[in-house]
Amino acid sequence: MALGDKLGPKVFPYVVGTVAIITGIALILQDRNPAKKSKRADFGFAKHKAVWIRIALISLAGIIFGLAIDSVGYMLSTAAFMFVVSILINKNRYVQNIIIAVLFAVITYGVFAVALKLSLPRGFLEQLLPF
Amino acid sequence: MHTIFMNLAVGFQTAFTFTNIVWVFVGGILGTVIGMLPGLGPATGVAILIPITFGMNPATALITMAAVYYGAMFGGSRASIMINTPGDASAIVSCFDGYPMTKSGRAGTALAISAIASFIGGLIGMIFLIFLSQPVASAALKFGPAEMFSLMMFALVATITLSEGNLLKGLFSIALGLMLSTIGIDALSGAMRFTYGISSLQDGIDFLVIIIGVYAVTEVFKNLKSIDTVYKFDSKHIGKVWVTKDEFKQSFWPMIRNSPLGFVIGVLPGMGGTIATFMSYAMEKNLSKHPEKFGKGAIEGLAAPEAANNACSCGALVPLLTLGIPGSGTTAVMLGALMLLGVRPGPTLFTDHPEIAWGVIASMLIGNIILVIINLPLAIPLVQLLRVPQRIMLPLIMGLGLIGTYFLNYSSSDLILVIIAGVIGYLFSIMEVPLPPLVLALILGGTTEQSFRNSLVLSDGSPAIFFEKPISAAFIVLAAVSLAYALIKRKRQAAK
Repeated sequence: MALGDKLGPKVFPYVVGTVAIITGIALILQDRNPAKKSKRADFGFAKHKAVWIRIALISLAGIIFGLAIDSVGYMLSTAAFMFVVSILINKNRYVQNIIIAVLFAVITYGVFAVALKLSLPRGFLEQLLPF
Repeated sequence: MHTIFMNLAVGFQTAFTFTNIVWVFVGGILGTVIGMLPGLGPATGVAILIPITFGMNPATALITMAAVYYGAMFGGSRASIMINTPGDASAIVSCFDGYPMTKSGRAGTALAISAIASFIGGLIGMIFLIFLSQPVASAALKFGPAEMFSLMMFALVATITLSEGNLLKGLFSIALGLMLSTIGIDALSGAMRFTYGISSLQDGIDFLVIIIGVYAVTEVFKNLKSIDTVYKFDSKHIGKVWVTKDEFKQSFWPMIRNSPLGFVIGVLPGMGGTIATFMSYAMEKNLSKHPEKFGKGAIEGLAAPEAANNACSCGALVPLLTLGIPGSGTTAVMLGALMLLGVRPGPTLFTDHPEIAWGVIASMLIGNIILVIINLPLAIPLVQLLRVPQRIMLPLIMGLGLIGTYFLNYSSSDLILVIIAGVIGYLFSIMEVPLPPLVLALILGGTTEQSFRNSLVLSDGSPAIFFEKPISAAFIVLAAVSLAYALIKRKRQAAK
């Protein structure tokens, strides 16, 4: 295919990039026209401060989960992640959240690692298991 | 005619295995529950359930996903009827007359007619699907790269022109999706593009990660504002989940005439169940002898959009199965999951894997019957799930989304990417930049570029090829017409 492919890998990204730039400029120009001005996006950083803090903390937890899962092992990292997210959303119900986190990790491990035989990261917890 | 029944027989052979029947049942129930819960649409449902299709053969996987999608269409209206909160966008209309029926003590009737209408709409939609898919697939088999490119351009343009919202923002969303699709090793020349020396970008951005990001993570973020909402309803006064003969007669023609409408809307890219339900509601109100009853518990005001909605979801499967082009968020997710299993829907699906294509169609006929059975006698126990608070549901969705992402490639960098996609998706939703065009462009980007380059190879570099081939020219004209239509429509709306 590469034989007849005179265009090479550059043309398509150029075309698409040009479209994106033109659309961007057009959006700016459209907003300068007071008649067509779009509603100002309301991020509500002040009004929904609690929501934004939760989003930031959940995102952070997700990233730490990603960095830790391979070394810590599936069940422990998943249970910890679920516990953190549950505490952030389902406040002050520690016992309920611990049950949710542990059950979630154990059940998903059972379904995906044991029943569906996906090779999930094995930390020290998983190594104790007979299967 | 004869071949259609032969094909259907092949389909039933696939669908009638024990495993597949079990998965239709499980998928249907999961879909009903997911569709019912407010804030969780069918796209989110299919996205977080992708991992359960691992280890399935492609036919079973597609059958399961179709059952989830289809079940969500049955479930969507349950919440509208009981608590006046739509389970997904296509169930908004079901609140108009469904909730007034509940308030006047006819919740049982409302639940029953919505299940019956879903069944009838689905049945009519499936009949169209059966007769239409083979001819469309055969026609598409003759498409060369130029036709494919123009068709994809039309599909992408239509997703922004036929839906509501700012055209420029939609175009931006498409361009961004296409740009993301060029990251990684170029399939034709082997050149590295936009990888910046990061090795995990070499294989490109896995669109399933982006899909889970914008449909699971973003949805969780969006729902964080309403975590303390508790839905209350009185399940003692639902009454019998059944309809009388008169009520059925009253809804019969509205169901029959709105199903074809829903189906056609479903086939068109960008026009999903939301538009189908609103249009059918408006049409019934216009046709009715008692338009004043609409909004106050008119049974046909509930039956018509429900039928249109399910017919629409059958229509949406036509471009997905026959052309490999998804027209909505949910079908895009289904396409992504299938590609993961090594199946590329498109015209060749019907010739190379008739057991998959027809197996799904046959399984949907079975699923339709299973779902109406689930949704009539089990309606009352199922709606109890609406009492599960958001603060328990949301962490579970987040967890399922993240572990599902990890299972795709066992890559921890995907988990970081899914969070970034979720945050960006949330910011985009606040800025009213539509996400489905981005997802569609990201999925179709690779094929779009290949067909673009292959066409220009054929024509020795002259872009005239897209206009010289009649079918290709027709798609370009269609794209231009839909763009003009959208511009005029928005001008008129602005003038009002």
